[in-house]
Amino acid sequence: MNNRIKEYRARYDLTQDDLAKKVNVRRETIVFLEKNRYNPSLKLAHDIAKQFHVTIEELFLFEE
Amino acid sequence: MKKTILLFVIAILALATVGLWIYSSKNTFSAGNIFQVAVIVILVGFALFFGFKRIGSSIRGEPAEDELSKKMLVKASSLSFYISIYLWLIVMYFSDKTKLATHTLIGAGIMGMAIVFALCWIVIYLRGIRNE
Repeated sequence: MNNRIKEYRARYDLTQDDLAKKVNVRRETIVFLEKNRYNPSLKLAHDIAKQFHVTIEELFLFEE
Repeated sequence: MKKTILLFVIAILALATVGLWIYSSKNTFSAGNIFQVAVIVILVGFALFFGFKRIGSSIRGEPAEDELSKKMLVKASSLSFYISIYLWLIVMYFSDKTKLATHTLIGAGIMGMAIVFALCWIVIYLRGIRNE
């Protein structure tokens, strides 16, 4: 699973720290997500997608 | 914050015990003892690393624990438990072959479990948690 968190974060001019605080996780979690080293829970995926006003499918790219 | 304080208290107690052990056995310290002290210091260092990480997160206004850190701990714990079963089997096997006292073997086993946990956590941290 890939994601476009870094791209959207840049679009909204947010730092990893800002995003982490907005979705109530540690900055390290955002780093792991952006490097595709962690698949988030549905709640976290929803919270991040909500911050960027997009759907989960737009933010996280599922591959068969 | 309570967990962090508890972690630091345990780390200080462990270091104080090691200090007392070194002080009480001044000239009778063997190479094996030095190895044991080194392992304990590394493990306490690992615990302190966790503690400082949690404090750093709190200072930055982040939660001390989140879903990733909890998942990592759970995964490292389950994996280290699985490996520890085999570790104890090895300890049991060597208990017949060596003349070491029972408390020494149990101590080695417990220390081994702690090392296995630390290694499991490092491996999971480096690999990440994906596609499960």
